[in-house]
Amino acid sequence: MKNTISNEELAGLVEPARLHKRLYLDPDIFELEMERIWGQAWIFIGHESQVPATGDFFSTNITHKIPVVMIRDKEGQVHVLHNRCGHKGAKLVESRDGNVRGAFRCPYHGWSFRHDGTLLKIPNEKGYEGTGFDPSDSCNNMQPVAQVESYRGFVFATLSSTAPDLKTWLGGAVDCLDNLCDRAPEGEVEVAGGVLRYEHECNWKFILENLNDTMHPMVVHQSVVQAAEDYIASLPASAAKQRSEAEIIPPFGSSYEKFEDSGITGFPYGHHYDGGKTSIHADYTVLPAYHEAMVKAYGEERTREIYSFNTHNTLYYPSLTIKTAVQNIRVVRPIAVDRFVVETWSFRLKGAPEEMLQRTLLYSRLINSSAGMVGPDDLEVYRRAQEGLQSSASDWVEFHRQYGRDQQLPDRVIGGGTSDLDMRTQYKAWREYMTGEIAQ
Amino acid sequence: MTDLDIKAIEQFLYREASLLDQPDLDAWMQLFTEDGTYWMPAMENQPDPLNHISHIYDDRVMMEIRRRNFVHPRAASKEPAIRCSHLLGNIQAQGNTADGDLIVTSNFHVILWYREEQRCYAGTCEHHLVTAPSGFLIRHKRVNLINPDAAHKSLIIYL
Ligand code: FES
Ligand SMILES: [Fe+2]
Repeated sequence: MKNTISNEELAGLVEPARLHKRLYLDPDIFELEMERIWGQAWIFIGHESQVPATGDFFSTNITHKIPVVMIRDKEGQVHVLHNRCGHKGAKLVESRDGNVRGAFRCPYHGWSFRHDGTLLKIPNEKGYEGTGFDPSDSCNNMQPVAQVESYRGFVFATLSSTAPDLKTWLGGAVDCLDNLCDRAPEGEVEVAGGVLRYEHECNWKFILENLNDTMHPMVVHQSVVQAAEDYIASLPASAAKQRSEAEIIPPFGSSYEKFEDSGITGFPYGHHYDGGKTSIHADYTVLPAYHEAMVKAYGEERTREIYSFNTHNTLYYPSLTIKTAVQNIRVVRPIAVDRFVVETWSFRLKGAPEEMLQRTLLYSRLINSSAGMVGPDDLEVYRRAQEGLQSSASDWVEFHRQYGRDQQLPDRVIGGGTSDLDMRTQYKAWREYMTGEIAQ
Repeated sequence: MTDLDIKAIEQFLYREASLLDQPDLDAWMQLFTEDGTYWMPAMENQPDPLNHISHIYDDRVMMEIRRRNFVHPRAASKEPAIRCSHLLGNIQAQGNTADGDLIVTSNFHVILWYREEQRCYAGTCEHHLVTAPSGFLIRHKRVNLINPDAAHKSLIIYL
């Protein structure tokens, strides 16, 4: 069924500044996206700090259906394996995280597998003698995902054995992962404080489009910005000063000019970020104890340089979006054409005072929680688009803002902060993945 | 603790629940002490609200910001209004906190009506109550969902 859509037809769905509503509505397109985008791109699995000890695992899906498990072996190496028994296919682990003591043991017929996925033991193996079955054949192992690489602890995997190496794929957008880690005095981050999981009843691409859609915050978040600003302004000055919300919420109501100034930068493979010189996170108070630790580690000049690269959202298309200045990330896990889950993870900056993590957690809770002050209003507009696009009034969604003004540099495209450059960047990649123009 | 005391506690919790159902968040907030907090953890047995992520951890200031957001005419996600119905049971007095506040636990079922969909939330609550001249006040309300770690849809009311 899914091969009934020709590459020509797919290419016709994405014009330079318009795309067809089928991208959000058609289950066959969704299946193809899972195969050609999610099945070929580097997908963020998890962070190494989630599996600190031998046998620690984290399980998730790499596409909407394909279950995988990230696990650390006794040599310290992190593997990403298909969560599938080499015998008759049962999932080996069911929990989202935990520890595999000694070896995976299948709950069905008791085959066991080492942490690297190789078959350890088959119970009552003599039944196989003389049958031509070879227990040492690697096809009986838990299969590794085609390629796995880690960058500064961020573990990515791809189902494609011909995908370019991770560093090439990240391209210039790697600056943001670097900046996130460099904001730690020890140059390393670790997952801390658990995860929020948020169900979205709409197509997965809406959240990616929204990340650097800087024409929406002052509209969608007007209610919470006013609620926070007005009420905090009415408090006695001494009480108002202590409210971290006053730094976090009001910038969502920043002016068009401010967002325009922050700029958007796009890269090959669909990655992009907004901000750089400035962003809505740029005016956060620098905690003195944190600043001290940074200067001690890096010196004054390098510290300033690290702070001065201030991005809002960076997308590593299609699965990972990070907030360098906040130290949290969101991970997109698609389920169906009109359903996906967002995971929000928070990071501890190693060597920084614990208050930094608490601020990150405060941000994640206020902004990204399903009971938050910002996320539900974003989801509301995605959901309305998901329903509104069912209309037969038009087949097209446009993204012409500042079209023709994007500036192509050797390794990136830059443009105005309120432009649709982010849309053009990600849908160029969509087209390339879907029609096979990205040679894999 | 006498039967009369338990009865008074029950009546107080029922009144709190009915203010959430009406909803009358102004009156509901008045049930909290000035330093009162509302906490909905994101994991089972979560030890504290600041060093681990929570769904909600509001003091009175955040409650007021949230209330103003709920009723703001431009809050698209709150339109049309959400309706809910609380049912409480298993209300038990569990002794006192170190500060002498009464600890009361209860079970709740909340049915919520939002966008043509009926949803169900369940769990236990822990209230820390202060006895004031006017009756009880809530110093702390902790809402333990049975599935705090699930992927939840938008939750834009207080449970
Ligand atoms: S399916 Fe795993 S041992 Fe048979
Ligand atoms: Fe938003």
